Amino acid sequence: MAATLCAKLLPKQGWLPLSVSVRHGSKAVTRHKRPQHILKQKLLAVTEYIPPKRDAPPDAYPSKIKREEECTGLMLLIKEDLKKVFQDHKMIAVVQNNNSNAEDMLTLRHRLHKHSISVKFFPNQVMRLFLSDSVYSSMAPLFIGPTVLFVSKEPKVREMLSTLRASPHMTLLGACIDNTLLSVQGVVSYSKLPSMTVVQGELVSGLTMLTSHTVSVLQRHPGHLSALLQQYVKQQSAEDASEAKTESAT
Amino acid sequence: MAAPRKASVILKTVKKISVQFCPFESNVRSTREFLAMVGSEKARATNMNCEVTSIVKHDKSEPVVDVTYVDGERLLMKGAKLTSTEMLSAFQTRCRAKDTQTIAGGKK
Repeated sequence: MAATLCAKLLPKQGWLPLSVSVRHGSKAVTRHKRPQHILKQKLLAVTEYIPPKRDAPPDAYPSKIKREEECTGLMLLIKEDLKKVFQDHKMIAVVQNNNSNAEDMLTLRHRLHKHSISVKFFPNQVMRLFLSDSVYSSMAPLFIGPTVLFVSKEPKVREMLSTLRASPHMTLLGACIDNTLLSVQGVVSYSKLPSMTVVQGELVSGLTMLTSHTVSVLQRHPGHLSALLQQYVKQQSAEDASEAKTESAT
Repeated sequence: MAAPRKASVILKTVKKISVQFCPFESNVRSTREFLAMVGSEKARATNMNCEVTSIVKHDKSEPVVDVTYVDGERLLMKGAKLTSTEMLSAFQTRCRAKDTQTIAGGKK
């Protein structure tokens, strides 16, 4: 059998067989798939039938464009919760956490709890739904990816910033403080603002500066006041004279 | 979001990754997703020395990812018109190339 095979495969002198022959070749009809000659294999591979791709019938798949958001009951509940959060809490900060394991979250929550800031998670879909209905629609682009909300009743920005600086994986994206949307720089400048009492004091002092000055002048010795008034009259006349000179010159 | 099969991000050859974006822009989605994938626990566990920093700006600038490798090479990716998978694949191919280089160099 091998001798006959060799005779067929070596017609010319010194021509090596193209393929390794099986030790004892199998018959034509076998139970297993007979190893094909490499040429035949190549030919069949090249000339395989590729059926033409036809579109699916029109109603086979649901249409991609129409996507109605089914408001499940759970989503409505979460929406109500969100509404309450926005009403109760003055400060709402949006933070992205790339990776935080449980212990990081715990330490963060503990630190924030000391300043009565609570950490809340809401699904982005519901968030976007709620924001599109409410006034805060410009916050919508912030909520992509893993986001966390830091909410608190009092705007304690400085403590929040210091806590966030301690955890490097949290990134502050923006905040809504007293219904004003602030970016990161806005939040930082908000933290540097003096407190309300200080600002009010400054305003009051600025307004009363003029009147207090007059009062102090009047309270001094009347001779001082008369000298001041004389000086003032002199200055006024000097100014008038210089003005008249310039007018006559022009 | 179609996650790649081998989603393991190996940061062995990376020294520092700095991601900068402006969250109020509309083209930052891919950059933020890239940041989430690169900054995940698994990725950070591959290399504890690698720093992943994110800078949030508000000046309508383009989102940029700046990767500094251990051998000093820098990869700058402008994520405005890229998808996160593209950025991730580009980043991973470069990381793997550097990894094989160092392995080959070490073996020799």
